[in-house]
Amino acid sequence: MAPSSTAAQLSARTDVSVEGRYVWHGISRAAGLVAQPSLALGLRVHRVSLEGGAVLHYELDAATAGELSETGAGGRHLGEADLWGRAMFVLGPTRLHAGIARYVFRGDSTQGGLGPARNTTEVFASLSTTSRYLNPTLEAWWDVGRVRGAYLQASLDLPVLGWPFPPYAFVFVQGEMGLNVGQGPNPARPGELANFATRGITHVGLGLGTEVRAGHLFGIGSTTLAFGARSQLNTDDATKFDGPGRSRDFVVWLWTGVTIVLGGDARSVQ
Amino acid sequence: MSRRAVLFWATALLLVGCGPTRLHVPGTLSPAPQPGRETLLRAGFARVDITPPPGVGLAGNGPEGAEARGYRLRLYARVLVLADGGGNRVALVVADLGLSSTLLHRRVAALTARTDGIGVDRLVIAVTHTHAGPGHYFEAAGYNDAGSSVLGYDPVMVDSLTARIARAVHAAVADLRPARVAWGSRAVWGETRIRSLPAILRNIPLPTAPPDAPAGLPQEYGLVDPELAMLRVDLRDPTSGAFRPAGGFSIFAMHGTGNAPSNDLLDPDIQGLVERRLERHIDEDLNRVTDGGFVPRAVYLFANGAEGDVSPAWPPQSRCNVPTLVPLPALAGPFTRSLWEWRSPTATHLASCRHAAREAITVIAKSVGDGAVALFDALGAGAASTDRLELGRAFATLALRDSARALGICSEPALGLSTLVGADDAHTRIQGWLLFGLFDVGLKQGSPNPDVPGCQAQKRQLFDAAFGGLANHLFVSGSLPSSAQVTVLRLGSRVIGAVPAEVTTTAGRRMREQMLASAREAGLPVTSALILGHANGYMEYVTTAEEYSAQYYEGGSTIYGPGEAAMFGRTLARLAASVSAGDSLPATAAPPLDLVVGHQRHVVPRRSASRVPPPRIERVWCSGDTLYAWLQLGGAAEWPVATGDVAAHARVEIVVDDATRTVVSWDDDPALEMRLRSRRAGLAWWELRWSGARGRTHRVRIPGGTESDPVRCAVP
Repeated sequence: MAPSSTAAQLSARTDVSVEGRYVWHGISRAAGLVAQPSLALGLRVHRVSLEGGAVLHYELDAATAGELSETGAGGRHLGEADLWGRAMFVLGPTRLHAGIARYVFRGDSTQGGLGPARNTTEVFASLSTTSRYLNPTLEAWWDVGRVRGAYLQASLDLPVLGWPFPPYAFVFVQGEMGLNVGQGPNPARPGELANFATRGITHVGLGLGTEVRAGHLFGIGSTTLAFGARSQLNTDDATKFDGPGRSRDFVVWLWTGVTIVLGGDARSVQ
Repeated sequence: MSRRAVLFWATALLLVGCGPTRLHVPGTLSPAPQPGRETLLRAGFARVDITPPPGVGLAGNGPEGAEARGYRLRLYARVLVLADGGGNRVALVVADLGLSSTLLHRRVAALTARTDGIGVDRLVIAVTHTHAGPGHYFEAAGYNDAGSSVLGYDPVMVDSLTARIARAVHAAVADLRPARVAWGSRAVWGETRIRSLPAILRNIPLPTAPPDAPAGLPQEYGLVDPELAMLRVDLRDPTSGAFRPAGGFSIFAMHGTGNAPSNDLLDPDIQGLVERRLERHIDEDLNRVTDGGFVPRAVYLFANGAEGDVSPAWPPQSRCNVPTLVPLPALAGPFTRSLWEWRSPTATHLASCRHAAREAITVIAKSVGDGAVALFDALGAGAASTDRLELGRAFATLALRDSARALGICSEPALGLSTLVGADDAHTRIQGWLLFGLFDVGLKQGSPNPDVPGCQAQKRQLFDAAFGGLANHLFVSGSLPSSAQVTVLRLGSRVIGAVPAEVTTTAGRRMREQMLASAREAGLPVTSALILGHANGYMEYVTTAEEYSAQYYEGGSTIYGPGEAAMFGRTLARLAASVSAGDSLPATAAPPLDLVVGHQRHVVPRRSASRVPPPRIERVWCSGDTLYAWLQLGGAAEWPVATGDVAAHARVEIVVDDATRTVVSWDDDPALEMRLRSRRAGLAWWELRWSGARGRTHRVRIPGGTESDPVRCAVP
């Protein structure tokens, strides 16, 4: 009998990113420096993966009154904590996800932040595929906690350059577009907090990034350093919102981060 | 020391530490020979095992060159030393390596000049150009740092190869015996082809297949130089006094690219099988050696010729897909961005194309090997055998940058984009890449840039559209070689131009004509000229000016521009006219070289356990028709042959489970692979895979040690 490796693969990923702006689904939630540590675990058995994780959003700048902030004026702490879980099915170059995300806001709404009244849960499904150049993803999000409506997002990742020798380096662009189809104000429930102002396209984003695979971690994983810039053209009032009384049609911000992936495919990742 | 000074020196040290390694390498010329008592020709052979441990990069395929996980056939350096009555000696070395190296050549010559009177001018170290040999010993940073996916220059690799090859040269000198030799040649058609056909068809006059080419050959097969040239050597048996066939030296133009580019085992490729084919023939069929050992007694040096644009006739299915740039799906949750990765093809695909490549290697090697056997036998049967062989040599070191104007080449080397995408034998992952999937930036073969002015006109370089030659100047040219060692040998009726490059078929033909004409004008009674490529250094390719203008892989890799072929032609002609014997050359022939060899790294494993237990067979099993075994075998950093001598025994054998324990395979067999499973506690654990099981019951045996339980594999 031949020795065989186990079919199940465990993997773990941790990220720490720092961004000049925290934007989620096109909506700017904090305009200052935000650190986002996250942890994810996954178990893959053949074509199916079960994954889950958590991400925290810390505002590094102390917001003042009138500034866009999750924590609110005077806060300099955790603004949001999110949990997520999903199942992934891989079929050749195509991946199908279905999952759930829970948003917990820790800000002070009396100081202009986002408080527990904003807490909600969304279920999501996505379909993505890879090819030599185009890597499109279609996502559908359904808020089941607070807004009870759908939001769609299409994104496209496009590699520009890849350095073929270690340390591997990549330059890529990413574009995305959001479409609100049910997360706007609900006339039947006027007290409900909506995500977007109107139906239709919420934003169009474009980013340029680069990452360097710094090396293998003892043969069980890899470290990646990344930085880039993102821009966003806002079309919905919610995505234009930049603090009380302020609105921006176009925003640009920088980001950087480090990612460590252990186990699974990361053991031999190039 | 002030804080500022500490900071300054710390920064300076860091910069120096991170920078490339620079070496000052003297050139040791041969002393004037001392005439000996022997008046007739003498010859001696030797062979040394140069198989390194796993972990080294397999050089030659750039980023697609894998890290070696083990070995299939052993890598050898084979040596033939010829000595005439005047005391002149010439040492020919053909090593199962990917690229030759000026650094290696000079290091070996420094030793052999002292021990055997063989300096740089009388030593030729050529390589078979297997793309499954180790890197990390080259003279230029670009080849150490970009020759494979394992980067870096490793002095241990240089030292190990130097010591082993020098010892083999010394052993061949010690083996010098009265000899009879015969030159001959034979055409081998159908096993090689021109891989850059549009480039060769640019030559003026248009190359055509010779009249003796077989009818019906496709054009790319008909335009090759099919000559298999051979020097057969018979040595006098000290016991009987009779001359017995002992080996030979050949030149045949063919890339060592039979293996699939994704191959991850050390292997001498087609050339290694051809060498073994003739060696076993000499041992078993001609000398009736009945106790054929692990290593053949005969030694056949199978060197490469003008193979720059010549591929072995591998089938398309033997070339594997290359990694593609895609998002890494691992744990890219909804709140984190996707990472990118170079994703390798599936294991099934890789296994399939590697298998196809192995099949092709077997077929091609058998055909070429049969040609070598037939030629060797014909030379033995003919009356051309002689005990006199006039030996002469001429040698020069060209300062390519400093003397560029006088040499007629560009003063700064440059790589074309067609180099980065790889040749047809092994395209790299950036072959055909379009910017944003739309814009052609010239990452393909045959894409000259008519807007590039100057000496390197037509060569499309990195980012030249935006920055001209700046990127090449800043990042590329400094990592390319600055010198070239050129040798012309006279071995009886042949003059041989040893060139540190890969010369294309047409460029080689022109050089041969120039060399032959010049030698004859100088009064040498020679009948033929040969090009020995990949010798004594490496400066990539040499195309004709016409081929250069096409900017295929070879043209993009002609780093000193379109004047290279003419420059080498003139140099070889000059040297052919100045071949001498019985003298010592002036020091100007081999000035010291300052080499930038790249980033120094510990690539070759260094540490083994202080106490290595006896080898152990952990388990043996079959899967289909393949026999597997797990072994604990030696220390983690051990070379298969620790001392550098030729192994007397195999490390592992497969024996039939009968009373006589007939040996049917060992760890120098195309059907047997040795893969390192792991290194733990300074010890090496291996996996053996043997695909030769055919319905009988076998055992795995470690010579002088243990043997496994019997195992029987199913016949498919």
